[in-house]
Amino acid sequence: MVRQGTARQFDKQFIARGSSRCSAPKFLLWIAPWAALLLFGLYSAALCLIKGLNQTNMDNRFAFGLWIFLDLTVIALGAGAFFTGFLLYILKVDELRSVINSAVVIGLVCYSGAVCVLAVDVGQPLRAWFTFWYPNVHSMLTEVTFCISCYLTVLAIEYLPIVLRNRKLRQVPAFLVFEFELHKLIYVLAGVGTFLSFFHQGSLGGLYGVLRGRPFAFREGLAVWPSTFFLFIISAAAVGPSFMLLTTWLVEKISRKRLVRPAVLQLLGRISGSLLAVYVLAKSIDTLVWINRTSPETGFQAWQYYSWKPFGSWILVAEIGLCGLLPALMLLAPKLRRKTGWLVTGAFLACLGVALNRFVLTVQTLALPTLSFDRFMSYTPSWQETGTFLAVVAYGVLVYSFSFRYFQLFPQERELKGEMPKVEEPELVGRY
Amino acid sequence: MLPWNYGFHWNLGHIIFLGAFYLVLSTLAVTLFAAARRSRRAILDHRVEQIGWHADFHELPPRDRVCRHVLTGEFKSRECPHAFDCRECETHSRLIERHPLKAVEEPEEDLVGMTFPLDRYYHRGHTWARPETDGTVTIGLDDLGSRLLGKPDAIELPQAGAHLEANGTAFRVRKGDADVRVLSPVDGEVVAAGGPDSGWYLKVRPAAAGEAAFRHLLRGAEIKPWLLREMDRLQKALSPSTGAYTMADGGVLVADLTASCPKADWDAVCGEMFLEP
Repeated sequence: MVRQGTARQFDKQFIARGSSRCSAPKFLLWIAPWAALLLFGLYSAALCLIKGLNQTNMDNRFAFGLWIFLDLTVIALGAGAFFTGFLLYILKVDELRSVINSAVVIGLVCYSGAVCVLAVDVGQPLRAWFTFWYPNVHSMLTEVTFCISCYLTVLAIEYLPIVLRNRKLRQVPAFLVFEFELHKLIYVLAGVGTFLSFFHQGSLGGLYGVLRGRPFAFREGLAVWPSTFFLFIISAAAVGPSFMLLTTWLVEKISRKRLVRPAVLQLLGRISGSLLAVYVLAKSIDTLVWINRTSPETGFQAWQYYSWKPFGSWILVAEIGLCGLLPALMLLAPKLRRKTGWLVTGAFLACLGVALNRFVLTVQTLALPTLSFDRFMSYTPSWQETGTFLAVVAYGVLVYSFSFRYFQLFPQERELKGEMPKVEEPELVGRY
Repeated sequence: MLPWNYGFHWNLGHIIFLGAFYLVLSTLAVTLFAAARRSRRAILDHRVEQIGWHADFHELPPRDRVCRHVLTGEFKSRECPHAFDCRECETHSRLIERHPLKAVEEPEEDLVGMTFPLDRYYHRGHTWARPETDGTVTIGLDDLGSRLLGKPDAIELPQAGAHLEANGTAFRVRKGDADVRVLSPVDGEVVAAGGPDSGWYLKVRPAAAGEAAFRHLLRGAEIKPWLLREMDRLQKALSPSTGAYTMADGGVLVADLTASCPKADWDAVCGEMFLEP
């Protein structure tokens, strides 16, 4: 009993003052299934690393599968970190201060998860340094590797002040002072992060756009950059805030606490909606150019790509209309934005849209036949691939859960604790 | 990446790509190095307390960072730009010059059943500083602070000879779950330590002489509006997160609040009232 009390006291010392968190046993109960999933995923990843890629259902034709889809999606969803940092520290949108810490954690989780999965996908981890030592400077993948590893370093440095601001750790004078001084220079990191993110999001898109041998993905563009380079940047900047909105709402629901003011979520929705509208416009123009010029020039009519089931034309409609235009309108309409249900649905659809886009470019591109002797191929990931994928999800939940418990991810939480939630005035329907 | 690798030939693409890469790496290294160097200098210059307070101050909610002239109604809203150190504030000296504080005739202010003697200066972290005839300054907890902590379980007082900084830690108090640092109202050197029973906690030889040592502290007519606001903050801090806060009209605070409301999160309440987020 005494030992239990001491453990509770010890745990409480690390929790921010005034932030009520669930009891340690309840927290352990929450993390246990995620930890089990992580262990299963680590076992799957270890099999892939030790026995090789024969553990997966990928082959020379289907070289990109679930893992690359995951990488592209989480990197786009994690873009909230760089974009929020850019808006807050460079453009001085001060309202976003209340979500910046959460954005950094989301970014760190997404990027570190992506790098880990890439390491499994590439294999030969002992030779991972080759990519830096003997790079192919003509490859977009080199740009991606360099930018992602540099940006992961930036995120780790940005995460450091959040950790050092922990109630117990800041009692160490060196930590307190270092955190304070590092925070003063945070705008430098925000600038570097924006520069790196801009290029690696673009390079990821560019990877597909330059595939001349895959006319479904091949795009024209500006100088050396295909249009997908720019589309990836805009789409990532658009869904980053949506994913932050979604995670904040989800954490509020799970923890049963008010973490940010509704106005902040609405601002995130407005930013996301505006950029999504720009993206939908750019994507529509790009698709029209591709249908009418790029694709016919490569010897294929666009409709041919959509004759292979299940990848019918519905996928294009879903990507641009249902998960692009619709959420953009939902997030841009002030009346809908004020209602949490609409706001969250809009954000969810936006995130789904970007995931669908990355899926189309990764899986559909490789599934479609391009040569006369080619055939349509389907691909289903092996359990080892799925396990590794789930490990990243579990890792993300665990890191975020620990960060939420012990670090101050939402500075407004304490203020909101003593405030009554605003009751919305009933709207007048009309004169009667 | 490395130009000395076999078969490497420089071209414009290499220069741009590698230049950007090395520039990013060196910016990160310089940023970390600069932060580490500044931190080392701050520790050597004994600025840890000052930095600790600045970090705490910026973590306070905006409503708790208001300028003292908001309390007296001279401003509608204004955030204190000097972390409650009005000694360097030009606005404060200009306002005091224009509208000197009215003299209060009574020897003490009786507010909501609490006594605030007017022979001393008050810090917004609930300490007071009283100049003594021998040139020293006595430091104690004000009536609200004393009622919040009641009879403390443990106190960590600095030893004689220790240096105190205004807005730095004067001493630490533990009561039940609450463990708070109490801010020092003045700069100076500790000459003696007391305790709750003696009515004062520290005697200090101030670093500056005369009025300058107390310019940042509240006095006279400023005390009432400040305390009314503090009572409001206390009610908010004590209110449960799920309901509205209420307090009976005409009631006064009991002598030992912690003992009277054992279920409240006193660590959070004391942190809020003693300005330690």
